[in-house]
Amino acid sequence: MATRRPVRKGSAKDVGEGVRLGTEQSAGERGLVEAAQSDPAKFEVLYKLHFERVYAFVASRVRERSTAEDVTSEVFHKALASLPSYEWRGVPFVAWLLRIAANAIINHAKRAAREFPAPDDPPDRAVAPELQASEMRAIEYRAQLFRLVGRLPEVQKQVVYERFVEQRSIREIAQRLGKTEGAVKQLQLRAVQNLRAQMEGGHG
Amino acid sequence: MAKRSLALQLNEVVQWMLVSLRPRPEESPDRELASLTRVAQVLRELPREEFRVALKSDLQRRVSMSEGTAAVPVGTGETKASAVHYQRPGLTGITPYIIVRPAAQFIEFLKSAFEGVERMRMPAPDGSIMHAEVAIGNGAIEVSDGNEQYPTAPGAVHLYVDDPDATYARTLQAGATSFYAPTDDHPSGDRWGAVKDSFGNHWYIAKPRGWTPGPEGLRSVQPYLHLREAHKMIPFMETVFGAEAIGVHKSPEGIVHHATIRIGNATLEIDEAHAEFQPMPCHLHVYVPDTDAAYARAMDAGATSIDAPRNAPYGDRAAGVKDAWGNSWFIATYLGQ
Repeated sequence: MATRRPVRKGSAKDVGEGVRLGTEQSAGERGLVEAAQSDPAKFEVLYKLHFERVYAFVASRVRERSTAEDVTSEVFHKALASLPSYEWRGVPFVAWLLRIAANAIINHAKRAAREFPAPDDPPDRAVAPELQASEMRAIEYRAQLFRLVGRLPEVQKQVVYERFVEQRSIREIAQRLGKTEGAVKQLQLRAVQNLRAQMEGGHG
Repeated sequence: MAKRSLALQLNEVVQWMLVSLRPRPEESPDRELASLTRVAQVLRELPREEFRVALKSDLQRRVSMSEGTAAVPVGTGETKASAVHYQRPGLTGITPYIIVRPAAQFIEFLKSAFEGVERMRMPAPDGSIMHAEVAIGNGAIEVSDGNEQYPTAPGAVHLYVDDPDATYARTLQAGATSFYAPTDDHPSGDRWGAVKDSFGNHWYIAKPRGWTPGPEGLRSVQPYLHLREAHKMIPFMETVFGAEAIGVHKSPEGIVHHATIRIGNATLEIDEAHAEFQPMPCHLHVYVPDTDAAYARAMDAGATSIDAPRNAPYGDRAAGVKDAWGNSWFIATYLGQ
């Protein structure tokens, strides 16, 4: 069953207007997009670059993991299909992806609402929420954190996935990894401390 | 002491979070704990690695399918990447399945040479070993005495260890013979030695030097395939398993000197067979999001069937194919408990 969660409403302003990304974004990005337009196999590069951002955006709005995965999957499939008609307008590519994501979230909520009608159904037009710079920064922060998990020492990474993704108990993780419960708690702490230190380092 | 209590405090917060999906109400906010809590809250939304990989291969498949064919339906169920935790816990995307006799003795070798930890052993009615798993580092090796369908087949495995010299010495004590002792002159740049055990398996024992682990981290156990016409193996694995070549070194004539190939969250290596490193057709165990689809793609790519997809009694959707080089691939999707 899909989670019913009100979709944040906003003005129909272009998502890109609120978006200010780092300089690394705009320079090479146009080239990457155009490469993918002429050779769809190159879409993979864009996927790798933006997966975490799109997922972070979606997951912040739909709490249920399976829904977040469905919507994220829909976003990239749709983006791949619509790429030939995409026109570069100087707005970061991620803004386009997040606009697709915002619409996908609304459609998802509408489908859920059809199944379980409620008086506060979202309006019928597909409204992309305005992305404020602060929200964009929050998305960048989460996306960066997701990427950093991949670079943790192997056992810390394992604990993070077992604990936060699989939501296993400390006891279960201890059994699976052949460690004491105290050791697993220490690893959990060290992983979170590591990530915090790197996030702080990265933000200067 | 203080550190230990912080670990406990953080765990209480995490526990609360996972159960209630809400941050825990703060009574007296401790700054240290509060900043860790913020990180932990984000981790709750961490995407599943399997999902990221599966969606990528869905997209790749779609790109390769739409080349030549007309439109592919958007957002239909056939490209579902979600909701399947497709790897059996404890195993990665790819694990060497070594069938040698007597398997029990081989397990002892893994224990004494590589500090392997036996974590499962299933005897067959005749007392032989039907299936066993030995953990080495963060990877594993699967072991069996085999049967008619799956005969004896030693393989080559590349192990990353902390101390290659000590490990190398232990393998010799355990009955292996040396190809060469660990050296810093190996083309990989790693400190690297090579031995052959008494069952016929090759072990490449290495410590990474200046090698940057990929996003999946460093894998302790990597199957190593020496192949004739190794370059043809790369598209086979890409097509069938959604594999990704993450480092290919070729000669100007196109001979593969070395390639690292990623399948799911694990890697294997291949090279063109040379000198004493000749083809050793072996058994490999791969976890994929969709066994039936991978099996069908393998058939299309010219593999022969060993086992059609079926629900195995241990809870995997499983199939078996043999590639053009004679390696057999156990293809599996974990169906969950």
